[in-house]
Amino acid sequence: MTVQLDARPPVAPAPGNQRQSSGRLSRFDTRFSPYLYIAPFFLLFAVFGVYPLAYTFWVSLHDWDLLGTDHPFVGAENYTRLLADVDFWHALVNTLGIFVISTVPQLLAALWLANLLNRGLRARTGWRMAVLVPNVTSTAAVAIVFGVLFGREFGMVNWLLDLVGLDAIEWKSNRFASWVAISAMVDWRWTGYNALILLAAMQAIPRDLYEAAAIDGANRARQFWSVTVPLLKPTIIFCAIIATIGGLQLFTEPRMFHSGTNPIRGGPLRESQTLTMYMFENAFAPHYNFGYGSAVAWLLFALIAIVAAVNVLVLRRLGGGPGPRKGAAR
Amino acid sequence: MSRLWRASPLTYLALVFAAGLSIFPIWWMFVVASRSSDAMGQLPPPITPGGNLGANISRLFDNTDAYFLTGLINSVIVATTVTVSVVFFSSLAGFAFAKLRFRGRNALLLVIIATMMVPTQLGVIPLYLLMTRLHWNDRLPAVIVPVLVTGFGVFMMRQYAGQAISDELIEAARMDGCGTARIWWHVVLPALRPAAAVLGLLTFMTTWNDFLWPYAVLNDPANPTVQLSLRALSDGYYQDMSQVFTGTAIATLPLLLVFVLFGRQIIGGIMEGAVKA
Amino acid sequence: MAVFPRRRLAAVALAATTALLVTAGCGGGDEQGGDGPVTLTVDVFGQFGYEQLYQEYMAAHPDVKIVERGTGTNLDEYSPKLTQWLAAGRGAGDVVAIEEGLLVEYKANPGNFVNLLDHGAADLKGNFLEWKWNAGLTADGKQLIGLGTDVGGIAMCYRKDLFEKAGLPTERDAVSKLWPTWQDYIATGERFVAAKTGASFLDAATNTFNTILLQTAGNTTGYSYYDTSDKLVVDSNPAVRQAWDTTMDIVDSGLSGKYGSWSEEWVSAFKQSKFATIACPAWMTGVIEGNAGPTAQGRWDIARVPGNGGNWGGSHLAVPKQSKHQAEAIELVKFLTSAKGQIGAFKAKGPLPSSPQALDDPAITGASNAYFSGAPVGTIFGAGAKSLKPVYMGPKNQAVRTEVENAVRTVELGQRNPGQGWTDAVTNAKKAAAK
Repeated sequence: MTVQLDARPPVAPAPGNQRQSSGRLSRFDTRFSPYLYIAPFFLLFAVFGVYPLAYTFWVSLHDWDLLGTDHPFVGAENYTRLLADVDFWHALVNTLGIFVISTVPQLLAALWLANLLNRGLRARTGWRMAVLVPNVTSTAAVAIVFGVLFGREFGMVNWLLDLVGLDAIEWKSNRFASWVAISAMVDWRWTGYNALILLAAMQAIPRDLYEAAAIDGANRARQFWSVTVPLLKPTIIFCAIIATIGGLQLFTEPRMFHSGTNPIRGGPLRESQTLTMYMFENAFAPHYNFGYGSAVAWLLFALIAIVAAVNVLVLRRLGGGPGPRKGAAR
Repeated sequence: MSRLWRASPLTYLALVFAAGLSIFPIWWMFVVASRSSDAMGQLPPPITPGGNLGANISRLFDNTDAYFLTGLINSVIVATTVTVSVVFFSSLAGFAFAKLRFRGRNALLLVIIATMMVPTQLGVIPLYLLMTRLHWNDRLPAVIVPVLVTGFGVFMMRQYAGQAISDELIEAARMDGCGTARIWWHVVLPALRPAAAVLGLLTFMTTWNDFLWPYAVLNDPANPTVQLSLRALSDGYYQDMSQVFTGTAIATLPLLLVFVLFGRQIIGGIMEGAVKA
Repeated sequence: MAVFPRRRLAAVALAATTALLVTAGCGGGDEQGGDGPVTLTVDVFGQFGYEQLYQEYMAAHPDVKIVERGTGTNLDEYSPKLTQWLAAGRGAGDVVAIEEGLLVEYKANPGNFVNLLDHGAADLKGNFLEWKWNAGLTADGKQLIGLGTDVGGIAMCYRKDLFEKAGLPTERDAVSKLWPTWQDYIATGERFVAAKTGASFLDAATNTFNTILLQTAGNTTGYSYYDTSDKLVVDSNPAVRQAWDTTMDIVDSGLSGKYGSWSEEWVSAFKQSKFATIACPAWMTGVIEGNAGPTAQGRWDIARVPGNGGNWGGSHLAVPKQSKHQAEAIELVKFLTSAKGQIGAFKAKGPLPSSPQALDDPAITGASNAYFSGAPVGTIFGAGAKSLKPVYMGPKNQAVRTEVENAVRTVELGQRNPGQGWTDAVTNAKKAAAK
C-alpha cells in the first residue's frame, strides 16, 4: 500500500491523463470518504444515544423488575401511575426550583463579573483564571466539600451566620434552603464560565457604540443597560440554554450534598431530590423498577425537549445561529 | 484604551471578592486535607493548613478498602483514552463537515447539533441493560466506549476548521493529488491543533469528573473510578473525613494542574468559541 | 490512492479500540486460572473482621487465594450492588455476605444461590442458634441459602466523661441501673440535658427507634413491618406503634442531637463529643471506634440496653450460583462461620457469634474491649444472645424501614408533628412496599 502511495508523482497532477488514471479512486474518495469520517459519531450515537432512548421507551411500557425474569407489557400504566405520583411532582418542582434559583443569579452574576473583567486590568489572565477555576474542579469532590460547609451544626456557613447574629439554617432539611445551597454549588461552578463567554461577546461590541452613547450623555451604568445588555441578548440566551440542559438533569451535586442514609432521596422529605435522582431511586436501589424509572426518564426527556425547543424558537427569532459552542458538558 | 474601560480600585476590590469566593472552597479542601481528622466539626473552622497532609495521603493510599489508587489509575486510563479518541474522531468528522462536500451534509450537521441537546444520561437504564448483555458491567469499557466521540467535539472542530482552514489550501493539496485522508493528516490536523488542545482539555476534565454513569455501571468496589472511590470514602460505614478530603484534593489536583499549565488556552478556547456564534 | 492511508488509519483506530477493550478490563471476578491457585472473592460490608482468618485459611490451603471487597462499605451501598450482580448473572464474589434485613429479599430468588444442604451443611445445624439457622432456610425448608455469621445483641454505649460532667454515675453497672425501661432512659436523659454539658443525650432518634422496634417486636409479635405471611403490617403491628410512641417521647423531651445517622455530621458529632449515648448493637462498637477515633479511647463504656434484650443485625454468608469455584467457596464459608471463625471475627472487630459453642467459649465470655474502658463485651452482648427471640423481616423490609425512619427523622427535625409523621410513615411505607 505504501508503495503505491509513494509512487505518487511529486508534482501536481496535470489534467487529462493523470486524472483519468486515478479518477475512480479519487471520485470514490471525495464521494464516500466524508461519510466514513462522520460515521464513528453516528454509529456510536446510534448505539449509545438513540437506541437507549428508544429502548427506554420500550422498557417504560413494561412492568420491568430488574430481578424478575419476565417483564409483562403494561402499556401506559407506568405513566399513569407516575402522573399520579406525588413524589414525582415533588421532584419536578425541586428540579425547576433549583433550576430557577440557580440560573437567574448565575447569569446576573456572570454579567456583572464579565463587566468587571471587561476593563483595563492588570494580570488579566490571572483574574480570568481565578473566576474559571471552580469550573475545572471535580464535581463530586466539590459537592462533598459543600455538603460539609453547609452542615447544620458544624458547617462554616451556619457558623458565619451565627457570628453576625443570625439563626442557623437547616441547609439539608429545609426545602428552600437546600435548593439555595445546591444552587450555590452550581453557581459557584458555572458563573465564571458564563462570565468568560459573556466577556467575549462584550469585547465584540464595537466601541463607537459606547462613544455615541457617551456623546448622548449616557453614563456608564446607562451605557451598560442600553448598549451592552441588548447586544448580549443572544449570548445570554445561549448561556441560559446550556444552563437548562444541565440544570434539568442535575444529579451529582444534590446526590453528593447529602450523606447518611439514603442520600438518593435528597433529604428526609425529598427536599432536594431532582428528577434524575428520582429516576435513579426507582430504577436502581432500592426499588429496581426499570419500567417505572424509564417512565421518569422519558417524561424528563420530554420536559427537556420542550424547554430546548422553546429555546431554539427564541434563538431563531433573535436571528442567531446554533449559538456559540457548548462548554464542557455538565 | 478609552477612558470607558479603566478599572477603578473598586473594580479590583470586587474582583478580589469574586476570586476569593471562587478559590475558597478549593483552599478549604486542602486545609481539611492537611489536618488530622479530629479537626472535623471544629468551630470556629480552621482556615489555615495543618501539618498532616503527608500522613493523610499515606493513610489514604494504605486504606485497602477504598481502592483509591486503582480509582486514580482507572480514571487516568478512562480520561486519556476518551480524550485521544474524541479529538481524533471529532477532528475527522469536523473536517468533513467543514470542508468536504457531500450529500446530506447540512441535514446531518443539524442532527449533530440536535444530539447535543439530547440528555443521553437519561438512557442509563437501557445502557445498563446493554452493558449487562455485553458483559461490560463493572469494567472500564462501559464508561469509555459510549463517549469515544461526542457531538460537541464534532461541532466544535467543525466550527474551528471552517474558520481556520482556507478552501484554497485544501484545493491546493487536492491538486497535489492528496486524498482526503492525507489532506486531513497533513493540512487539517496541524491547523486544528489549538482547537484540538482545547477540546482535549475539556474532554479530559469532563470525563475525569463523570459520575452518574460510572456510578450506575461500575459496581465492583475494587475497580472504581476516582470519583467513585471518593463516594465510597464519604459514604462509608465509618468515615475519616480528613481522608475523604485528602481524596477530594487528590482527585482535583490533576485538573488544577492541567488548568494552571493550560489555563490561557482553555480560556482562549472558551472565549473564541463564544464569539464564533 | 488515498484509500489506503485511510484504511490504515481505520485499522489503527480499530486496533487502538480493541487494545483498550482488552487492557481496560481489569478487575472483577473473571480470572480463571487453569491449575494455579483458585482466587476466591469475598464480598462483605461494614466490619466482618476476617483478615486474620483469611491468612490462616490460606496458610492451610496453599491453593486458595482470598480477596475481600467491601470492608467499610455502608450496607445501603453494598446490598444494591449485590442485587445488581445477581441480576446480571455475573460480578458477585464467590462468597457474599447477606444482612438479616435483606435475607428474605434474596431468598425470594433462591436460584441465585448454591443450596448448602446439598454440600453437607445439614451436619452443621448444631453449630448455630436455631433461629439463625432457620433464617438461612427458604420458606419450604428445602434450600439453605447461607450460614450464619453474627447476631446483633444490643447494649447501650455511653460516654463516661460526659456522664461525669452531668453528675450521673459513670460505672457501667450503676449506669445500667439508671434505665431498666425506656421511660427511665428518657428520665435519665432529662437529667443529663438539665446539666447543660453542651452535648445531647443521644445521637439521633432513627437508630434508637430501630433498636426499640426490634426489641419490642422480639419480645411480642416476633415480626416488625411484615407479618410472617409477608403482609405489610406497619400500621397494625402494635410493636411498631409502641416503638414509634416511645421514640416520640424521646424526641419530645429534646434528648436527640439530631445528627443524622451515618452522615458526615454524625461523624463530626462523634469527634466533637456531642452526644452521650448511642444504641449499640454488638457490631456498632467497631463503628464507634472508627468514627470517634483513637483520642476517645477509654472515654466510652457499655451498659445494658433499656428494656429487655433485642437483636439488630447479623448476617449470613452465601455462595452465588454464578461463582466459578463453588466447592472451594463453600469450604471457606464453613470455615468462616465455624465456632472458631466466629470467635476470630469477634476478637478482631466485635461481631457477636451466632454459634452457641462460640458464645460459651472462654474467648468470648472472658472478652473485654480496651477501647470501651475494658468493658466485658463478651458477657454484655453474649449473655442474652442465646435467649434472643428472632424478628421476622419481610420482602421489602429495607425499603419500608427507610420510609418509617425517614418519618422519625422529619419529626425529630421539627418538620412534622408526631401525628403527621405517623401518617407519612404508613403512607410512604405502603407506597414503597408496592413499588
